[in-house]
Amino acid sequence: MTPVADSLRPGRAPDRLGSRTRALARAVDPLRLAGVAIGVAVWQGLTMLLPPIILPTPAGVAGRLRDDFWSAPALSYYGLTEPNLYGNLLYTAQNVLVAVLAGASIGIASGLLSARFPLVQAGLDPVVMTAGTVPILIAAPFLLIWFGVGRTSAVCLVVFYVAVTLHIFAARAARNVDPIFEQSARTLGAGSRRVLRDVLLPATVPEILGGLRIALAGAWGLEAVAELLGSQSGMGKVIEVLAGATDPQGIMAALLSLGSTAVLADLLAALAVARLTRWSAAAR
Amino acid sequence: MKVRHPTRDRWISLAVLAALALGWQVLSLVYTAEAQPGEPMVAGWQVLFTRTLLSLSDYWPGGLGVPAVADGAERSYLAALLAILLHSADTILRLAAGLMLGGVAGLVLGLALSWSRWTRRLVDWPLQFIRTLPLLAMVPLFQLWFGTDALGEVVFVAYGIGVIVFAGTVNAVRNIPQIYLDNARALGASRLFLTRTVVLPAIVPAMRSTVLLSLGAGWGAVLGAEYLGAQSGLGYMIVYAQQFAFLDRMFLVALLFVFYTSVSTVVLARLTGRMLAWAPEGQRA
Amino acid sequence: MVVTDSRMIELVNIGRSFRRADGRTVAAVSDVSLTIPEGEFVCLIGTSGCGKSTLLAMIAGLLAPSQGSIVVDGREIDGPGPERGMVFQRDSVFPWMRVVDNVEYGLRCRGVAAPERRAVALRYLDRVGLGHVERAWPRELSGGMLKRVAIATVFANGAKVLMLDEPFGALDYVTRHQLQRVLLDLWDDGRAGTTRRTVLFVTHDVDEALLLADRILVVGAGRIVDDIRVEAPRPRDTDTLLRSDAVAIKHRLLGHLGLERPLAQGRAAGAAA
Repeated sequence: MTPVADSLRPGRAPDRLGSRTRALARAVDPLRLAGVAIGVAVWQGLTMLLPPIILPTPAGVAGRLRDDFWSAPALSYYGLTEPNLYGNLLYTAQNVLVAVLAGASIGIASGLLSARFPLVQAGLDPVVMTAGTVPILIAAPFLLIWFGVGRTSAVCLVVFYVAVTLHIFAARAARNVDPIFEQSARTLGAGSRRVLRDVLLPATVPEILGGLRIALAGAWGLEAVAELLGSQSGMGKVIEVLAGATDPQGIMAALLSLGSTAVLADLLAALAVARLTRWSAAAR
Repeated sequence: MKVRHPTRDRWISLAVLAALALGWQVLSLVYTAEAQPGEPMVAGWQVLFTRTLLSLSDYWPGGLGVPAVADGAERSYLAALLAILLHSADTILRLAAGLMLGGVAGLVLGLALSWSRWTRRLVDWPLQFIRTLPLLAMVPLFQLWFGTDALGEVVFVAYGIGVIVFAGTVNAVRNIPQIYLDNARALGASRLFLTRTVVLPAIVPAMRSTVLLSLGAGWGAVLGAEYLGAQSGLGYMIVYAQQFAFLDRMFLVALLFVFYTSVSTVVLARLTGRMLAWAPEGQRA
Repeated sequence: MVVTDSRMIELVNIGRSFRRADGRTVAAVSDVSLTIPEGEFVCLIGTSGCGKSTLLAMIAGLLAPSQGSIVVDGREIDGPGPERGMVFQRDSVFPWMRVVDNVEYGLRCRGVAAPERRAVALRYLDRVGLGHVERAWPRELSGGMLKRVAIATVFANGAKVLMLDEPFGALDYVTRHQLQRVLLDLWDDGRAGTTRRTVLFVTHDVDEALLLADRILVVGAGRIVDDIRVEAPRPRDTDTLLRSDAVAIKHRLLGHLGLERPLAQGRAAGAAA
């Protein structure tokens, strides 16, 4: 909240421009860049103490990432369908994207419904509360037996996880909406559908999107571990194969590419969140 | 003006759980497909608590006067119980050790690095990146470094917890209202005294959600590590059974695991809630 | 003052009771019957918890009465409706819509075409003195400005009955007086024609009631305990409050609010001293 005197300054445009430049300056904070440099330097220092079979050098991992990204013939030798990091990254990312979209739709819908209707809540709560405290990973071996080795098992696992996470976030967000907004909308002549569209959805968007980012972050690891347990492609399979070949340099290159993809996805999500929640004071 | 009926809703919740259990039983009668000859896809409760439970004695390595099935002994409920206790203890000890190590390391590092605004900015980006690295995908790396025995798993869990607690601590310190710090400084508190008397108490409410979050992550991490190469523990029991498509065993062990995680979460939530009874409602996160 | 005889609001034996946590039932409003003609500015005054907000919520349709019926503009009400506008005590402006979108929201609900409703919204924003912040987000406005937006919203929606539940209670002295003027100015629009809006205004503030109302209803323990007509001419100002009839009403109101001992008791206390 920025209370302004009742005689408000008319033009806020220069101010907004100012805050944007300031945000840009913050983004390239030299101290933060220095932090990254120090992190890499510490890594480099450790490699002098440890044998390369344990900890490869940063330069080695970077070189390996560059080489493997487009072409890593060794991978096809181990039975992977895509002999490069790019193809496997794409496979993993596709699965995560599909699963997050599907899981989010289910979770948001069920969360909002259970916040609106006590009966739905009473019915769903025992299931969701249990699923919310238990690592969803427990379901992976079952899915592998039911659906076999492949895309379906991994996607189902992630869908389940995302749906549970977002159900919890959406239900909490909907319960936190101040009832005065719904009352106000109804006295202005809004019906139930309008209340849903113009009040409940926009009011819960910031919290739900926050939950979506958290679910997205967890989805990468879950997808990867599902691939580790049984798959013929994807970054999890790549890591499994490289671990079998005792190749920490390759594993770290794979993890680095997966981590960077996750960071990129999170950045995109953060941008979307900032765009959709411009009205919220917390988003500034 | 929504009317809530707490008693009625609790009954509905119980009824839903009962219906799920009953539905499982009905499914076991209707859907009689077998994953393996003699191994039903869906095992009814009467099978789970007799034959399946008995079959868990295969996991008992022998000792305490109870011989192992592998050595030619008959299956027995005693051996099954011992097997459950043994593997549960393994999993829980790994989790506890990892929680301790990671929690302490994360807290100390977090406090040390949020010493000043400069160090906080310095660690911001590396921390963000490390936090985004998918934890579960790193199991093979840790196994390469520390082996597939208890050490490897404890270190892996400790790492996962440590990252969460570290990030949570830095965040909590950043969110301490400046007025507390200014007030203490104006009263002449030194840096170390300030940390002890203001910073530590002030982050306690925010750390509650971090603790609960790390418990969940810890269970996930220990399970992931046990899935991928451990030779004991509940996760090992499940993947071992999966290799032979013993769905009933997997289901029973998974139920046990669900029981542990739910109970531990509820207990920890109650305990931390009681410890924070002094904090205003909104701060308890 | 022209008060048409048409009955805008008619309450017949209205009552509302709540069940408390300990299971006992308490009556917030009991057996209220009341007729308010079109165009009247009515202030409801009373101590906290006397039931005046409950009464207002029932007329707004946000709360169903336990017994009795409410007829507004010839129709028995059944839930909220756009012919009855409400300004709440707390901020009710949607933070996720820009100011102008908030003001035209009611018109949008009724399917008024975009250019037309935008024009109406801008006109009322101008009238409340906020023409320059139409594109602002509500979080950029102060508390007083948000109240102006809320007032513009109900007026733009064309409601025949306006209900305001302690709208200016949380504002500072100067802002409160500015907003009283804004409200009266918009209400007075109808003077030339016949469609002055009917206003129900809940307040704690005796002077506010005297400055605004044609009629003051005193609510106590869920009933209407007094019905006072304010005959002072408009426009009113500080001098109005000093007129002898206004002072008499003020004494009467303060008595109802328990702030003035009844004369006899005061004398007895003085004699004892």
